Amino acid sequence: MSLRVEQSLSQLLHEAFVSLRTLGKRSILALLGIVIGSSSVVALINIGHNAAVDAALIFKDMGTDTLVAQFPPKADSSVPMRARLDLDAVRQAVPGIAHIGALSLFSGPIVFQGRSVNANFVGSTPDIPAALRLALREGRFLSAFDANETYGVIGDQIAQALGAPGAPLKLGDRVRINDYLFQVVGILHHQPRAMLMPVQANESLFIPADGMRRIYASPQIGNVIIRAAPGQDMERIARDAAAALQRQLTEHSVDITVPQQMIDGMTRQSRTFAYLLLALGAISLVGGGVGVMNVMLMNVSERRREIGIRMALGARQRDIRNLFLLEAITLTAVGALCGAVLGMTAAWLYAWLSGWAFALAVAALPLGVGSTLLVGLFFGIYPAVSASRLQPVEALRDE
Amino acid sequence: MMTDTPAHPGLISLQGIGKRYQLAGQHLSILNDVCLSVARGDSCGILGASGSGKSTLLNILGLLDLPNCGQYRFAGHDIFSASPDELAAIRNQQIGFVFQSFNLLPRLSALDNVALPLSYRGVSRHESVEQALRMLEQVGLAERAHHRPADLSGGQRQRVAIARALVGKPSVILADEPTGNLDSSTAQDIMDLLLALNREQQVTLIIVTHDAHIAERLERKILVRNGVVHEAGRP
Repeated sequence: MSLRVEQSLSQLLHEAFVSLRTLGKRSILALLGIVIGSSSVVALINIGHNAAVDAALIFKDMGTDTLVAQFPPKADSSVPMRARLDLDAVRQAVPGIAHIGALSLFSGPIVFQGRSVNANFVGSTPDIPAALRLALREGRFLSAFDANETYGVIGDQIAQALGAPGAPLKLGDRVRINDYLFQVVGILHHQPRAMLMPVQANESLFIPADGMRRIYASPQIGNVIIRAAPGQDMERIARDAAAALQRQLTEHSVDITVPQQMIDGMTRQSRTFAYLLLALGAISLVGGGVGVMNVMLMNVSERRREIGIRMALGARQRDIRNLFLLEAITLTAVGALCGAVLGMTAAWLYAWLSGWAFALAVAALPLGVGSTLLVGLFFGIYPAVSASRLQPVEALRDE
Repeated sequence: MMTDTPAHPGLISLQGIGKRYQLAGQHLSILNDVCLSVARGDSCGILGASGSGKSTLLNILGLLDLPNCGQYRFAGHDIFSASPDELAAIRNQQIGFVFQSFNLLPRLSALDNVALPLSYRGVSRHESVEQALRMLEQVGLAERAHHRPADLSGGQRQRVAIARALVGKPSVILADEPTGNLDSSTAQDIMDLLLALNREQQVTLIIVTHDAHIAERLERKILVRNGVVHEAGRP
């Protein structure tokens, strides 16, 4: 005799639809709990992601994606460093370089309308502003076509010092270095102090690398600045770039330091962020889950009679268990979806209010919705099983 | 999958059935040494005062409660060795319940209430709705199919309950005071309906009642007194 019969799919779907339709006020509070739990997970993950992106941006500004190469002379050599390097060859040899530029440094007084200020003169190749993250307030930077011009881009602090109250330094003004007049074609924004960089842009005048000879008889390249594309292994780029640069040098060695400490700090900090947000999300999810269990247990005791009737009509224990589990999952699914929408809105609002760029965290939606469903399943199982364990006659007895 | 029909005519046979409850440390004996057999097509009344144990007997007959001792065979199945799932399947396929307080599910329409037993035997939604509608037609409520139980009168609700009991083509209908909550003319109609089913479709009818008029209309009268069963008009 075979008495094993499964409820057909169409019947299960119908049950789910009826329970969804008759969810009613009974479940609004539980739904609210789940929505809050789910939305806080989604929002926290997203806010955390945006915060981490913002923090990473701060670290990047400090130069974690930037490498500085130095060229110490080999032990018994007294040959001066070269004035030119083939940077395009390095760029081609090493994938993952976003910007590369060479600097030659000299310092001395700079004179404008009788006022004199000490400044760094930085002979720059055209890619230097991108490699050093320089931002212009006015005018333009030096291009490859300016190689032989007496043009200069001036740092914020020098520009302030050379200008007089009411008569600030303007574009087109000419400043004097030794016997040469350099025309100001660009003025830089104030830059934060770059701890790892060999030059402080605020105290510098950038001029074409080829023009350094006008100020200084034998210019040498002091440093090469390399900025990596996002997400690159800095150690690898440092190693490959050193090898590529070494090929062009005979009397000097290449020394590249990786800002490893800062990279480590950044990783540690973003891990701390992630743990903190995970804990917060888990706590609110458990709160929502207890809400589901509460409502489902109340649901079971309110519907004892219905359970008895269904059993008298031939429902097996597993049919009763599935019925209540299906309701718990329907409830959490609706809650999870509302929570996802609410959480995203909250995260967007938070990003907007704190002035961050809003970026969608890829993990937020699947993680938030998935974990809510799991919590619903976990907290729905106990009431469902306890409902299915009722004896028909006990369930039918008047309450 | 239908359960097998028994080879012998006795649909229900109880031998030495006893039922005890333990309440506050005291043993309460509800049924003592009950012996009873019901054949296919019988119509029986179970009579007795309140607290005599007649509802417990009905629950045991309907497989909603298990006795403590004795032997019970239902349609050839030994009830003591059946698993809970098998008991559920027998209830689903062989027994139709009619309760005093109707016991319809308030959240479902009359149609869905009637279709419910079919959903537990793997019938598809479409087919079970068709059969339920045919059943409602038979009890004269086809035009109320989509009403909720709350929108129906007492007599109509009991008709829906009878349609639900019949939709699975059971061999027995167990009715617990089916007319207890109805006025006398409606009660008359419900009894007519149940007896017509017994007569025309050979459905075995077992009715718990304390109303002598109802008992008069049934073939057999089984009296329960202080947990002991004996049949009127038989030695």
